[in-house]
Amino acid sequence: MLTLADLRKSYGATVAVDGLSLRVEPGEVLGLLGPNGAGKSTTVHLALGLLAPDAGTVTVDGLGPPTAPAVRGHLGLAPQALALYGDLTGEENLRFLGRVHGLAGRALAERVDWALDFAALTDRRRDRVSAYSGGMQRRLNLAAALLHDPRLVLLDEPTAGVDPQSRNAILDRILELKRAGLTVVYTTHYMEEAERLCDRVAIVDHGKVLALDTVPGLKRTHGAQAVLHATVGGEERRIPAPDPAAALQRLMAEARVDDFHVERPDLEQVFLKLTGRRLRDE
Amino acid sequence: MSAPAPTTSTMGPVLAMALKDLRLLVRNRAALFFALGWPVLMAVFFGLIFGGGGERARLEVGVVDEDHSKQSAALLSRLGASEGLTLTPLPRGEAEARVRRGKLVGAVVVPKGYGEAEARLFHGEPRTLELAVDPAHAAEAAMLEGMLTGAAMQSFQDLFSGGQASRRMVDQAFSELETMPDGPWRAATTRFLGEVRTFLDSGEAAGATKDGAAAARGEWKPLVIEKRALRDEGAGPSSAFDVTFPQGIIWGVIGCALGFALSLVQERTRGTLTRLRAAPLSAVQVLAGKALACFAAIVAVEALLFAVGRVGFGVRPASAWLAAAAAASVAFCFVGIMMLVASMGRTEQAVSGLGWAIMMPLTMVGGGMVPLFAMPAWMQTAGTISPVRWAILALEGAIWRGFSPAQLALPCAVLLAVGAAGLVVGTWRYRAAVD
Repeated sequence: MLTLADLRKSYGATVAVDGLSLRVEPGEVLGLLGPNGAGKSTTVHLALGLLAPDAGTVTVDGLGPPTAPAVRGHLGLAPQALALYGDLTGEENLRFLGRVHGLAGRALAERVDWALDFAALTDRRRDRVSAYSGGMQRRLNLAAALLHDPRLVLLDEPTAGVDPQSRNAILDRILELKRAGLTVVYTTHYMEEAERLCDRVAIVDHGKVLALDTVPGLKRTHGAQAVLHATVGGEERRIPAPDPAAALQRLMAEARVDDFHVERPDLEQVFLKLTGRRLRDE
Repeated sequence: MSAPAPTTSTMGPVLAMALKDLRLLVRNRAALFFALGWPVLMAVFFGLIFGGGGERARLEVGVVDEDHSKQSAALLSRLGASEGLTLTPLPRGEAEARVRRGKLVGAVVVPKGYGEAEARLFHGEPRTLELAVDPAHAAEAAMLEGMLTGAAMQSFQDLFSGGQASRRMVDQAFSELETMPDGPWRAATTRFLGEVRTFLDSGEAAGATKDGAAAARGEWKPLVIEKRALRDEGAGPSSAFDVTFPQGIIWGVIGCALGFALSLVQERTRGTLTRLRAAPLSAVQVLAGKALACFAAIVAVEALLFAVGRVGFGVRPASAWLAAAAAASVAFCFVGIMMLVASMGRTEQAVSGLGWAIMMPLTMVGGGMVPLFAMPAWMQTAGTISPVRWAILALEGAIWRGFSPAQLALPCAVLLAVGAAGLVVGTWRYRAAVD
């Protein structure tokens, strides 16, 4: 669906993207997981043709480079910033963006209604966006990216700055898109989101893809494993174990276990293993 | 999800962008005030300071008595007694010159022969008065004409109020009719004078009013007022508002252009430009939409200020077509300036600060604060570098300088050239900054 080959982009002495390559398969949700400043947004802008790479190529399968307006018509973007006009109503924002994408008449009206329904904003369609809550604005930001029914949508930190309840609502909607077979590139620095949504995850840091696999594959390959925490005779024990149940069984055979819990492996550990630092340190 | 295929139109997205920006402008009260309210306030305020008038307590009217008869003196005396008029006796040339300069609402000229015509009311040439008015004060001129007619017809009413004078006039008319050749007019007038003599003898004349005059209408004209509009096209403005409204328009245009420059930067800083550039639009279409909205908004500001000036303050362009050409050229010029200013900074603060820092001195030397003709010669020369100077010259040329199309072509050409340069350089710089 989308192929990025050896992309490089620098801003003066700062290297934002450093030889990044990856391929997004049709119908998959590919996550770009990395801390702030890792080069995720620059990669998204390069993928959309909004930035010209210093080197490398971007190809939308069967269509060509995204710099051509006709190719961009098949792509959607929910920018990290809330790219909406606060003094326009939700409906006016969508109608304007629909017209920009060449929609008109009945087709425009149908897509606007669909987008408002998708964002659960039908009742607030005539309110100005500046009067919406942060979560509402994020949902509208997402719906606006889908208005023209793109084949590939790039979501750049779509849950940034929203409360947990609104985040769940947004993630549920993205899962709907996934079930509908839409191809999604999803950037985030929240490992929980990547684990919940993504078929594959690319760990990105300093403009490079450090690892790219399914979530279980990443954990397996990069040594992340479960940790059994047990209290034995008042003493806390931490036991890394690929199979925590078997480890617990062995421990109980040796001594009385007063308490225990299992720390599941996660992408944070993978990132820590790959980079030596935590995802949200920066 | 299965959306219908989008249409492929070049202008559709551009128009959508323009309409969006105009809608945003209308909803931004502060921007709207500085684009519309502030320029009107400035134009009116400075117009009043410089003697533009406003609500006049009395109408200033020049009177020229070339007849020097007791009838002309009586007429002017009656006119002077009219409420709200101040009469100034003047020679004809001076009176007309003052009307041309807008110093007088009008001039009443009582030509030689007026008294004689009033004495032979029922035959010969009718009484004639001349009324020269300033077309910039149409409402006041109409009021003056009404007062003048009333004063002149008062003598007619006096005639039918009876008395020996009336009978003498009828008798004199009869005797003069006898010297004239036979004809339908003589017969009709003889019959009419007979009726008048009967009326005067009946004793009812004392109660007669203007109805008598009305009954006497027909082909016979008791009074002719020859009205002329005086406008010395090349001599100067008819009022201070002719000067302050072009200045006000320029302030509105600058406010509008800088507002759009700011909005273009906001598109970038707030992320909406990213979304627009991700759409199937070329960068030129995005910028063209902004430019179109800016042009439309500036033209709307100009039209509104022209309308306010015309309705409220008598600012009347000598030619609507030339005014439209000047307004369009000014709008194009400032769209280019808008694009250039928008490309000069990366943040709202930078663009706003830079925009005013550039436009204020250009406005000062260009006649946006002090009228061009009031500036010292060296500053007028220096002002030629300012597009504001050419904009004001174009607007003034269409309003009161009496420019011909050929004369207006120069300032319009300069404005169009500045606009084109601004568009080219600004677009290039802006695209370089966002790519």
